[in-house]
Amino acid sequence: MTGVRIFIIGMGAVSPLGSGVAETRAALAAGRSHLGPLSLFETPDNTPLPVGQVRISLDRQPISRTHQLARLAADQAMASCREAPDAVVVGTTTGGMRTTEDLLKEGVVDPAAYRWHAAGSVAEDIADRVGCKGAVLTVSTACSSGAVALKLALEMLRTGKARRVLAGGVDSLCRLTYYGFNALKLIDPLGARPFDKDRRGMSVGEGAAMLMLVADDSHNAVAEFLGAGLSCDAYHPTAPHPEGRGAYAAMVSAIDDAGLTAADVDYINLHGTGTPDNDLAEARAVKRLFGDRPPPVSSFKGAAGHPLAAAGALGAVTVAICIDAQLIPANTGTCHPDPELRLNPVTRPLQAGLGTVLVNSFGFGGNNAAVVIGAPAAERQRADADVPRPMLVTSSACMTGAGTTDRTLTRLRAGESCKGVLRLDDISAILPAHRVRRLKCLPRMVMALAEDARTRSGTKDPPATIFFGTGWGALSETHAFLKGLYETGERFPSPTDFIGSVHNAPAGQVAMMFGTTGANVTTTGGDASFEQALIAAGYLGREEGRTTLVVGADEYHEPLSALFDPSVRADDIPSAGGAALLLNPDSTAAGVTVFPAFYARAGRDADFTATLVNSLGGPERIRARFGALLAGIPAAQRQTGVAQLEAFRACSGITLPVIDYRKLIGEFASASAVALFMAVTFTQTGTIPAPLCNGRSTRLADKGTLVMGFGNHVTAVEVLRR
Amino acid sequence: MKNPSGKSLMHASLMEQLISELKVKIIDLLDLTNIQPEDIDADGPLIGGKLELDSIDVLEMVIMIEKDYGVRIENRKLGEKVFANLAAMATYIADNTPGPLK
Repeated sequence: MTGVRIFIIGMGAVSPLGSGVAETRAALAAGRSHLGPLSLFETPDNTPLPVGQVRISLDRQPISRTHQLARLAADQAMASCREAPDAVVVGTTTGGMRTTEDLLKEGVVDPAAYRWHAAGSVAEDIADRVGCKGAVLTVSTACSSGAVALKLALEMLRTGKARRVLAGGVDSLCRLTYYGFNALKLIDPLGARPFDKDRRGMSVGEGAAMLMLVADDSHNAVAEFLGAGLSCDAYHPTAPHPEGRGAYAAMVSAIDDAGLTAADVDYINLHGTGTPDNDLAEARAVKRLFGDRPPPVSSFKGAAGHPLAAAGALGAVTVAICIDAQLIPANTGTCHPDPELRLNPVTRPLQAGLGTVLVNSFGFGGNNAAVVIGAPAAERQRADADVPRPMLVTSSACMTGAGTTDRTLTRLRAGESCKGVLRLDDISAILPAHRVRRLKCLPRMVMALAEDARTRSGTKDPPATIFFGTGWGALSETHAFLKGLYETGERFPSPTDFIGSVHNAPAGQVAMMFGTTGANVTTTGGDASFEQALIAAGYLGREEGRTTLVVGADEYHEPLSALFDPSVRADDIPSAGGAALLLNPDSTAAGVTVFPAFYARAGRDADFTATLVNSLGGPERIRARFGALLAGIPAAQRQTGVAQLEAFRACSGITLPVIDYRKLIGEFASASAVALFMAVTFTQTGTIPAPLCNGRSTRLADKGTLVMGFGNHVTAVEVLRR
Repeated sequence: MKNPSGKSLMHASLMEQLISELKVKIIDLLDLTNIQPEDIDADGPLIGGKLELDSIDVLEMVIMIEKDYGVRIENRKLGEKVFANLAAMATYIADNTPGPLK
């Protein structure tokens, strides 16, 4: 059997190096620095630090800068492609933060102005632009987001779940990252000098890079996407493991995934941010894997700065250009390679043929990724990829306004409301005080859910991988950071709040708590954020015989939740909550399983409902296998959602009891995680409590429960007994 | 007070005041909810000691010292010296603050 080969047939890149492949290629061949003083916003005393700022005009107000960067790169990647992609996967950290910062500073209270804020809105915008009707996913793992997005796209293509995927990463400069990295003392005032003995830090940058990936069609291929690997340091919220443990694991995994060995790698495009710790850890990892004579290495971050979530995707585009141009780009900015690193980066651009290239991309939370890109012509054998399948539930836990798992279940069984918001101390009651000392709401929720699920599993074994979906991320930290920044005249923001502000910080905390060093992926995308995490777990969470932790959670923050989330605004009672499930994607044992069977943005055509019903196996299977339906209809999309639900009922002919669960547990983006917890619990016990079904207790017998989401996204997760 | 011993006495009491002030600030800044000011030994190690402080706490203290006392701590080596213990921190602040200590 021969597996599927994945090719890059279109590329877009917008960075300080230029806009488009031709400009980027010329800049890489020249090897000059494109760093310069920040001019995007004013800084105290007018002493801007050097940054990697995109210098072309991006003034299409009110469209957020991030969205504009992404659009440019997507248009470039799609320029020579006639067909729309059937999935879009974008990595981004701060989404429309640059716009949100201005609005908050000006005290704007009109929610419509904040429509660019959501990290997930970038991928949605791109999908609209390129006419993608399939899955639209957003990965938010800080600086490795772009590379992790590529890995997810790769697996979707390998398994045949998609044939054409537009994937990449984007972040624009904003106050959060500019001042945040400065608060961490990670900025080199002279500009980044990766691997230099005098290096003092990074230069914050921005950019977008998009790749059009296709399965099994090498026609017009620029390069081949050979493999990718993920890992987690599980060591520190921001600092890398000193020996580069996670970096090493990601590289090994990527090379193995490509079916190659370290000896096959002709060049490494290093993460090389220029911070003393990253460069030391990465050099150690490279030495450990490649020995004392590694292939040529360099980082573009001395030339372009660190474009954060775009870095891994820009790295992939860079090396694809270099393979084509037979070029090894320079490690710009470095004058005196650090002898302690025993790694001599390429100081000037070199002409050299490249067959196989490794790209490193690491991020906060110890979320690491590595990608392998190769020349397109060579014959290669590919292994078959496993299609995602139902994942066995090992244990589950939840949290709502009513309390943690047992309290929530008691109220649900009585048909009573679980709306509301828990006190901070109650959220983290089961966690040691020293672990949560510096943490605000969301990381405490996620850690408590994870710990509760692990306790309920009856085992001490940590999960091998972690997936976390959140609609809005750590709002308390984000707000506290900006408040502290503005109150001190943009001088003294809190480093702790910056570290906590990234969407993936909670999942990174769980990895540290459990010592989980496998893939650690955070997804976001409004009311379907948790479903995205489940989908990602299906593709990336399988490790032989081991469990994966999938969490969905959202906090309630005054005033941000209501500004950002229209459904929160539409309910009088603020609510927050989430759920955690320990799943075994590898097991075939008997028990209750979950499977994300359908995920799409709502289609307006008549075929849409038929496609949905067919993807669940048709009316007969739905009637035969499911005894109840938990329907998530976000308050802001009530009318649309109810119509979609009715269309589904009519098309499938089901007469199942439908539980409109948001009316019970409240309006928050990841409410569907709690619904999945409910479905799992009811399917395990075989009964839906009477108060939830108009007073008539429903026996499921051996049937399962469907958890569906309606509104902007239509989703279906199957919960079945096997 | 003109005699040298008088000056040093005053300095000592100022230092004591500064150390007390820093204890309260650090507990508040770093959310050390279970720690009382008297629990902190001015000569005991700040990092990795009983308080379980780490590099992120150090960054918070760096910002606080700059914000409240106008003293910048620019590099890691200096930081290691300044954050060795509370007494060292207070001494460095007292020696480098541009204004008078309150």
